[in-house]
Amino acid sequence: MDLNFLFVNILNGVVYGSFLLLTSLGLSLVFGLGRVVNFAHGALYAMGGYALIAIMHAGGTGYWPALLAAPLVVIPVAMAIERVTIDPIRHRPDVDTLLVTFGLSSMIVGAIEYVWGTGTTLLPPPSPFAGTVDVLGNQYPLYRLVAALVSLLVSAGVFAVVQFTPIGLRIRAITDDAGMAEALGVNVKRLLTLVFGFAAGLAGLAGALGAPIFAIHPEMGMNILIDSFLVVVLGGLGSLTGSAIGAFFVALTKSIGGGYFAEWSIAFLFLIVAAALIVRPTGVFGHGRVA
Amino acid sequence: MTIGEDRAAAMQAEARERRITSLLIVVGAALMALLPFVGVAPFTITLLTEAMIFAIWAMSLDLMTGYTGMLTFGHAAGFGLGAYAAGYFAREVTGDFLASLIVSELVVLSLALAVGFVVTRLSGAAFAIVSLCVAQVLFQVAVAWRSVTEGMDGLVGVPLPKLLGVTIHNGSQFYLLTLLVALIVCLGLRALVASPFGRTLTAIRTNAARAAAIGINVPLHKWLVFVISWAVAGIGGTLMVFMKAGTTPMSLYWIESGNVLIMAIFGGLGTLLGPLIGAVAFVFLRDALTTGFAVWQLAFGVVFVIVVLLFPSGLAGIFSRLWMVVRPASPARDL
Repeated sequence: MDLNFLFVNILNGVVYGSFLLLTSLGLSLVFGLGRVVNFAHGALYAMGGYALIAIMHAGGTGYWPALLAAPLVVIPVAMAIERVTIDPIRHRPDVDTLLVTFGLSSMIVGAIEYVWGTGTTLLPPPSPFAGTVDVLGNQYPLYRLVAALVSLLVSAGVFAVVQFTPIGLRIRAITDDAGMAEALGVNVKRLLTLVFGFAAGLAGLAGALGAPIFAIHPEMGMNILIDSFLVVVLGGLGSLTGSAIGAFFVALTKSIGGGYFAEWSIAFLFLIVAAALIVRPTGVFGHGRVA
Repeated sequence: MTIGEDRAAAMQAEARERRITSLLIVVGAALMALLPFVGVAPFTITLLTEAMIFAIWAMSLDLMTGYTGMLTFGHAAGFGLGAYAAGYFAREVTGDFLASLIVSELVVLSLALAVGFVVTRLSGAAFAIVSLCVAQVLFQVAVAWRSVTEGMDGLVGVPLPKLLGVTIHNGSQFYLLTLLVALIVCLGLRALVASPFGRTLTAIRTNAARAAAIGINVPLHKWLVFVISWAVAGIGGTLMVFMKAGTTPMSLYWIESGNVLIMAIFGGLGTLLGPLIGAVAFVFLRDALTTGFAVWQLAFGVVFVIVVLLFPSGLAGIFSRLWMVVRPASPARDL
């Protein structure tokens, strides 16, 4: 038995968990605000990755400026998508927005494949974090730790915005009772567009930030989307705290389980989520209705 | 006329319309059965075979999503599982079609009973998400369980099916078999949704809380629908594995679940015939548009979004609106 092997898997789990946190927060925010389950979230994550390499190739910039610019490409695109496809059907049953975002996901992934092809792009870790660092006797890629730290800081920023700013107050008011918030003068329509774009920006940032770790290919968003869904279903749709705890639970289960049981670990993870849902259909930290 | 008599008359009229439609379906199937003998190209027959298999699958989705209101993004699960079970059995034991179908159904039923028991406790978005997760888990298992599924390479070498000792060859023979099975499934599902059980499903879709309040056992009905829906999808999967002489994990992938959903929505949910027409349209449209996977997926996404945004009731909705114009006072409509 190798303790080091376990330790590296735990470290990988923490790194993956911090990415999962970024994507799950966006899913959870959009659901809480507009009861929109965004199936295109994974495609927006992929869009972030492709925006990154497009800016690096076309603009000739280095990694870091492109990383900052990638979410700025994704945000306006996502806002336009929300205005054209999701806003007009907000009065329809919830499932219609699910269907539309499912179609959008296929559209975005198809467009990416049309422009860039179906190949995989590998990106070297950017300087000055290209090397490895000694963690308890293991040589661990330094960039992974840096990327995880950035994800965690951005996530903390999202929490702070939702908890302590006037706009966060409005977001919480709508999540609590959309009709009442609207009656009190909150512009739900505008805020939903804003938050949808902002959440897409978080997904895009995660895609760009993760590019040197997970590689870039058109379907890159699908696995993280499914994992994010597990996170928000487990943590309770619309609950940010639930998402945070769920993200690390899912990531650690996957990476530790994956170290010993390979692909079987995801089946195992699903069993845990299913068991949790039998006990608490609203998610472990959720309250109120599921859908 | 009292309300009771009025209602009885309306129900009789509806039953009459249903019988006429069923008769038309049988006539339509008979006409389709003639196609291989009037010089229709073998390639078109192959496409039609695939369309009928997809029709079985799309109708099974309609029972769950259209009639009971359980939106699923993982309907590839029952189909792909049925394909793997039938294909493995046919290759390892016997290519007898009925035996393979029975074995495949036993596998699909046992998993659907277990999985359905858990996931049908959820509804709406949570059910949709978890159903997607179920299918992706099966996909992962198909990739990982190499000793049985041969991983990403897929299950190959499935023999030609035998029916009562006679080998069914590809082309028109297999087409006729598929057509017959699709006809049986179509009429069977139509009878099911017209039965009191089917009416109960509509009640659950319309308002689950009220349905529960008048004494309907909602969890039990949703569980049963889940199991029946997977079982019918498994029939489609069994036909598919014989048609393609094998299957791959991609038959369980989320894109396939999206495909069957668009067939059903495009045709019109909650009509059974709509998804059937949707499946035919899908197969021929895909054949026309496939110049590369990317273009197809992009086009697929665009069609999907436009249909949901602008034509939420699908082709069947357009037809029935035209029908309402022709016959505005159809008494069966306001039940």
